[in-house]
Amino acid sequence: MGNIYHNKTAQWIVYAVFFAILAVIPIKIDDSFLLNQLATYGVYGMLALSISLCWGFGGILNLGQGIAFGLGAYGMAMTMQMQSQDASNPIPPFMLNNSLDHLPLLWQPFQNTTAGLILSVAVPTLFCAVFGGIMFRARVSGPFFAIMTLAMLSAFYTIIIDRQPYTGGVNGLTPPSAFQFAGVEVDPYSPTAYWVVFCFLMGATVVAKLITQSSFGLVTQAIRDDAERVRFLGYSVAGYETVIYTVAGLIAAIAGCCWVMLVQYVSPAQLDVSFSLSMVIWAAIGGRHSLLGSIFGAFIIQGAQSYLGDTFLATWLLILGGFFIIVVRFLPNGLASLLESGLGLLAAKRRSSSAAVERNGDANPMPAE
Amino acid sequence: MDLGSLLNALILGVSIASIWLIAALGLTIIYGTAGVINMAHGELIMLGAYSSYMLQFYLGLPYLLCIPASFFIVAFVGLVLERGLIRYLYNRPLDTLLATYGVSLVLMQGVRLIFGSDPKYIAAPAAFSSNISLGFASISTFRVVILGVTALLVFGLWLLFYKTRFGVQVRAVMQNKEMAASFGINSGRIYMLTFALGAGLAGVAGSLFGVLAIVLPTMGASYVVQAFLMVVVGGGSLAGSVAASGATGELQSVLAFFTNDTFARFIIFVLIVVFLRFRPQGLFAQAGARR
Amino acid sequence: MQFTRRNLLKTTAAASVAIAAPHLWLPSEAHAATLKKGEPIKVGLLFSLTGALAVPEEDSTLVLQYAFDEINKNGGVNGVPVEPVIVDAKSDFNVYSEKTKELILREKVIALFGCYTSASRKAILPTVMQRDHLLYYPTCYEGAECTQNTICTGPLANQHSQDLIPFMVEKFGKKVFFVGSNYVWPKESNKNAKVWLEKAGGELLGEEYIPLGSSEFGPVLGKIRDAKPDFIFSTVVGASDIAFHKQFKQEGFKVDSMPIASLTTGEIETRAMGADFGAGHFLSAPYFQTLDNPTNQKFVEGFLKSKYGKNGTTHYNMEETYLSAYVFKAGLEKAAAAVGVENVTPRSIRDNSGGIRIEDAVSPEGLIWIDENNFNTWLKPKIGQCQADGTFKIVKAADKQVAPDPYSIYPDAGTCTKDGLKGPDGKVRKNVI
Repeated sequence: MGNIYHNKTAQWIVYAVFFAILAVIPIKIDDSFLLNQLATYGVYGMLALSISLCWGFGGILNLGQGIAFGLGAYGMAMTMQMQSQDASNPIPPFMLNNSLDHLPLLWQPFQNTTAGLILSVAVPTLFCAVFGGIMFRARVSGPFFAIMTLAMLSAFYTIIIDRQPYTGGVNGLTPPSAFQFAGVEVDPYSPTAYWVVFCFLMGATVVAKLITQSSFGLVTQAIRDDAERVRFLGYSVAGYETVIYTVAGLIAAIAGCCWVMLVQYVSPAQLDVSFSLSMVIWAAIGGRHSLLGSIFGAFIIQGAQSYLGDTFLATWLLILGGFFIIVVRFLPNGLASLLESGLGLLAAKRRSSSAAVERNGDANPMPAE
Repeated sequence: MDLGSLLNALILGVSIASIWLIAALGLTIIYGTAGVINMAHGELIMLGAYSSYMLQFYLGLPYLLCIPASFFIVAFVGLVLERGLIRYLYNRPLDTLLATYGVSLVLMQGVRLIFGSDPKYIAAPAAFSSNISLGFASISTFRVVILGVTALLVFGLWLLFYKTRFGVQVRAVMQNKEMAASFGINSGRIYMLTFALGAGLAGVAGSLFGVLAIVLPTMGASYVVQAFLMVVVGGGSLAGSVAASGATGELQSVLAFFTNDTFARFIIFVLIVVFLRFRPQGLFAQAGARR
Repeated sequence: MQFTRRNLLKTTAAASVAIAAPHLWLPSEAHAATLKKGEPIKVGLLFSLTGALAVPEEDSTLVLQYAFDEINKNGGVNGVPVEPVIVDAKSDFNVYSEKTKELILREKVIALFGCYTSASRKAILPTVMQRDHLLYYPTCYEGAECTQNTICTGPLANQHSQDLIPFMVEKFGKKVFFVGSNYVWPKESNKNAKVWLEKAGGELLGEEYIPLGSSEFGPVLGKIRDAKPDFIFSTVVGASDIAFHKQFKQEGFKVDSMPIASLTTGEIETRAMGADFGAGHFLSAPYFQTLDNPTNQKFVEGFLKSKYGKNGTTHYNMEETYLSAYVFKAGLEKAAAAVGVENVTPRSIRDNSGGIRIEDAVSPEGLIWIDENNFNTWLKPKIGQCQADGTFKIVKAADKQVAPDPYSIYPDAGTCTKDGLKGPDGKVRKNVI
């Protein structure tokens, strides 16, 4: 059987257990702060998942995942903002302060909640498809693509700050009341909000997992390991890269929507370079070749930031940075690779006589998970 | 709009370009030679500013001596960094990017712990706080100093790379590491020295920026993305970075003259993306560079 | 084990829905922070102690701790001591939002003191409003907000420039150039300044905004050189402000012929840039360290000598923060008298805070009081000129308190009342932000 870490059935069982535990939390815990906080971590988990999918399985390092996340978040915030405007008072207050006397065209579709939600997800996804399509067709890859996403992220960041009448500038958007859907107000501190995020996280994880196990996913992993060879085999490398990049963008956009539902505000800080880099850190520490590992990475880092950050006040960034260096230097595939080699050793011991050893070792390009 | 102001904007563009270039110089060397994307470059700039501050405040060193001193201090930091971390990662370019980001967090927070987060201040000779008027245009003396230092460094680097034995070795390693090694060049040593040199250049940039603006633990973050874009647009060569900084500096100044600063930046970012779409290898790619 | 994957999925999904069902539509726990007998009064201090915003905000935390120590030493509030719960927002807006929830929902504080930038205030206000809580926002801001959950002890945009602009026009000339950081507060402040400029017969030559945190003032100074104004009106903030003053001098501008009139460049900033870059410029603020009155002398001496005075200055922002502690004390006492100690909620403190006066004996800047309608502060703006040693010489002080008006430049939006923004149509809208 070899290393149980690579056993698909075992993997699915771990996924089931993981989500079952997450599902039980609101029943066991009656702490609205904790629920909201865990739901926020769930959003971060989705972001780490999207990075893992795109980088760990597609080989595309994306330092600009904040674009999809931020655009999704802005769309959601616009939708929620318009929910609190009515016919007698159709324009958000910040626009009046910026001397707009009518609702700009950009905002009009968001008057309708359904249209707003669709746009919040569709616009970032479409952006990823177009941007990725153009770039990958020009065979931009590796560090170059990373730098381009960084430039694009900075471009969005600056334009949102500059177009204050439409975007609220640095202050961002702060919808004054909670999100309402089909007549129900989703209190961000309620189990309901937690469930919404939970469902999206689970859905995204399952879809991502299925993608990585499909033949499509195998091709993207082959591209990650050697794009030239795959191209010679007749695959459209650009096509595969665009799709995986777009799916990751879609997940990030949904995460953006969930995030605004939970915290009721969005600002250009969501498109800040450091935020996008921290998403990459989550995935790298958790293990970019493992979807679940990346999600764990986000939970661990953000949890530590919330709970250890105040204890180690001044030294927190020092610890985080140092930890990150150590992981990159000694554990390039993150904490998940510890588990992998641990289980591998176990399997090797059990069948120490024969060929099981060959599967072991982190240097080999690895199969899904 | 009159011609004089436009001319002024153009002259200012040269100054902005020199600032962008000096921030990008060290990165160009490091990226061009070793292919390392050093995210801690901004923090090395910051270290340069703090070492100047320290030398001036505690030892009373005159400012003009602080600049070369910062070069050596930060070059030493770079040397330690290369020996302790970067050299293990040369065949993993994306991982160097991540590891150096970790380094940048550590440096930033370390400096904050030592010096506190309140801004520090480097005093420059009074002669630098004046203005040179050319009749139709004027520019501050300190900007001319930066321009001069940048030009000097570019010239020095050109000499180093194209007129010395060390330069030949660096270029050989750049083009083909294995082949160079078979000719007896110690590529590990070359990488180490170029990394230290690049870090030292960041130190010089830092001691200049500290006078122009402010010395803060976070000051490096604003330079690193910009510096990167210059290097990538330039293609990782010295001439490329000079041309890229020149073009963007002028664009920034002229666009800011017609619109505003924020919007000018937006346009530059978009233009860079569009440019790289058509020339991913940058302006002057080094022919046949293999790492 | 072919079937496992899909079936497992279905079962998991079904199971989670089943578990979820009973909880789905339950409202989250009813929330009300109240005071408990025998326990100290908990208040939250939400400032950044690390990161880029730590420079002004750490001082705010220190001065509040000093104020609460002082209050506790003098018998607390109705005999009960105040216990500040200190958190670090790490200069990260996401953390501001998270910490606000932690303070409100977990620590169950009775009031929050926090934020320096408008962006962080905006980030936490939805949570504060949603829980009907109370935020003391102790610094200057742009106004154009009307919530039922904030009390502000700093000057509004309309109070800031009312004296400064006419003073500068009279002293230096009619022509002015506006420079600001590119965000809401400078833009709103400049709109207010334009109103006063027009009244004073001045002329606006240009208006430029610099990206937040940018240190490249070359293009702006070039435009200023072309325009040749008599003075510059600056709303540049933070590190950029220091770069601006330094480059102003490096580019050969002379402070005597074209001074900068600022709303932000106080004692902390002049110390950071080096006094020779700050000397000669003007600042409008309700408080300066050099204010000559016994209360201020006591405050400056007491604070600098205490364990909180390590940074060595007092600053307008710190004094406004200090006052907010006393506004809280008075509000809590009034609320307790009105509804009974055990029924005090954050909202009842706010509703009882209108008209609270902090007298000369307590307030270093002199008498102030809280407006009964919009819950901002009536105060006397003063103008100071920076001296060679980095302190300010007061050159003009308003002769009486100026009314705060968050909607002074938007008369069409309506007026801010106790219960919300009263529009021209007579409708009152709550929580306008």
